[in-house]
Amino acid sequence: MKALWNIIKLELLANLRSRAFFLLTSASVLWMLVMPSVVKSDGTDEGARQLYVHYSLGGVFALVLVSLAAAAAGSLSRDRAAKRLQLTMVRPVRYFLIAAGRYLALLTIGAAELVLAAGILACKTDASRPCDHVLSPILPSVWEEAEDMYEVYMNDVETPKEVRAMSKEDVVALLAAKAPDHYQTVGTNETASWEFAYLGTTDKLRVQLRFTNMYDTREDVNGRFSLGQATGAVSNITQAVAKVPLSGVAGPSDGLARVLTFENHGGSSVMLRPRRDIQLLVEADSLACNLTRATLELVAMLSVALAFAMFLGASLGRSVAVFAVITMLVLTALTPSVVADADEFASEKMDRIGYRIAKFTEKFTRPLGALVPLEKLANDVCVERAEVVRVMTLNLGVYPLLLLMLSALVIPRKQDGL
Amino acid sequence: MVENVIELQGVEKTFRDFWLRPTVKAVAGLDLTVARGEVFGLLGPNGSGKSTTIKMILGLLSPSAGSVRLFGLSPRSVAARQRLGYLPELSYLHPFLTAKETLKYYAGLCNLDRRTAKERTSQLLAMVGLEDVANRAVGGFSKGMARRVALAASLIGKPELLVLDEPTSGLDPVSTNEVKTLVKTLAAGGMTILMTSHLLGDAEDVCSRIMIVNHGKSVAEGKIGEIGSSLNDFFLAKVGEGRDFEVAPFLK
Repeated sequence: MKALWNIIKLELLANLRSRAFFLLTSASVLWMLVMPSVVKSDGTDEGARQLYVHYSLGGVFALVLVSLAAAAAGSLSRDRAAKRLQLTMVRPVRYFLIAAGRYLALLTIGAAELVLAAGILACKTDASRPCDHVLSPILPSVWEEAEDMYEVYMNDVETPKEVRAMSKEDVVALLAAKAPDHYQTVGTNETASWEFAYLGTTDKLRVQLRFTNMYDTREDVNGRFSLGQATGAVSNITQAVAKVPLSGVAGPSDGLARVLTFENHGGSSVMLRPRRDIQLLVEADSLACNLTRATLELVAMLSVALAFAMFLGASLGRSVAVFAVITMLVLTALTPSVVADADEFASEKMDRIGYRIAKFTEKFTRPLGALVPLEKLANDVCVERAEVVRVMTLNLGVYPLLLLMLSALVIPRKQDGL
Repeated sequence: MVENVIELQGVEKTFRDFWLRPTVKAVAGLDLTVARGEVFGLLGPNGSGKSTTIKMILGLLSPSAGSVRLFGLSPRSVAARQRLGYLPELSYLHPFLTAKETLKYYAGLCNLDRRTAKERTSQLLAMVGLEDVANRAVGGFSKGMARRVALAASLIGKPELLVLDEPTSGLDPVSTNEVKTLVKTLAAGGMTILMTSHLLGDAEDVCSRIMIVNHGKSVAEGKIGEIGSSLNDFFLAKVGEGRDFEVAPFLK
């Protein structure tokens, strides 16, 4: 442990005395303080607050991620090139500790920067503002739905012949990707129902509706939601996202507490995508608590990036390692939008291959690229404890451990010139 | 029975390029043993394979063939490295650390407790005459001062085997004499020392036994007192006289 502590201290001193830590902290604080005056929102306080919450911490996270990942990639390779690493390697220290010490030092710096930024954010926003658990309806999986749709889709005369030529597996994969966009139509005086996993007893329940159709269609919506004893009316919706409060308590003793119904009393049909447009909001705790959980998730995300950068630094020369890590971070940031905007039904083979590669990369880099905790924090959505535990276990425990063990294997081999 | 601290048997080292094609055979079948308490000199011209041999002894390089044992263990084992001290040819210090922090860092790597580390740090700084600049960053040190810090760092763990690669490189004559005296004192205290040097006079002064390597092979080995001539003559006889530079025409 003494050796580990000494390696951590050495890396911390290297960053403190090179003024890197000072510059990073100054830039982070400046960004957090200047952000509210430069942010251009939709003109509402709510919009400005959302943008500030997302981009202030998001900006600091991006800054910390890029600078520390580059530092991690350069740490081992720099000392190897300067032949200082060999002086540590001939001491009675396990190679794992050489990589782990540097990783922990950089993670400590990153965590300190993020905690500082989160502290400023808490001071500059209403930290007591509540956030919600967001529950989606319990529906069959997208794959089950895609399997069910396959025959109908293939018999449809409008299905392109190129798609017909594709294998069943490929078509089902495309249909599964499209499943979240399937609409459910609730006609006039009809009732639709969705089952939720809600088992609580709070009286602070809301239904969140998202409308992608035209404003005049939304305006005609008129109906009533019920969840057990709790009910709420909705009419003349002006916003694209409406939150309908339910009054009364829907408790676990009520057999209907898991089923949300909607009676359409309006003059026209209502179209909703159950996977995207309807959710049950259950009040959780405050923004301060949510911010703490989101920061923990960000630290965990940073951790896996640093461990990977450390592995690259152990395996490659400094410039190649830094270039590789920056390239991977750029790819990580770009792939979610590439996948979101891609045409999954593209008939060109090369397009389909490109889509598959982008999809694979997105899946692989999603823990970093999606920035889920920031998105949730900005929208007052609860960053769930179970998710935090899962992310921290994997990104702060399992993945870094594996990557550092790999680094430990690589360090002597790279020293050996391989 | 005399314990061998270092044992090399049929050691070969071939460096390869990116495509794993052999480029240089730096060591070609070297057998070497260093017994406890010896001061062993590994001598040879530039590119003869001395540094490669030392790196294999330190576990920094793995042999392509043959075996290297340190205290009967693999040189990469923590137990073997626990008993090892190393002074490289250049000091390779962390420039942002002070002399005191440098020694404490290496003391920590040797798992010394805080009190022992503090005691040894001040004793070693006094030994190499750097107490007055103990709190200055080593990045601003002269080559000779940095060399003294590196020497002190190599001794902080009280090693049983000290590997010195060109220990007097960059030192003035006074400091060179101090280092030679130190090596003799340490050897008298039972420490095993393996050193390389281009300065044959230095090796002659401190080594009890030498090996001359050329082209990765041992060309001579023996005790200093048994060579029969000066080490310089012996060396040239074994390695060759070399050639005079023919001055490039444009320089004439």
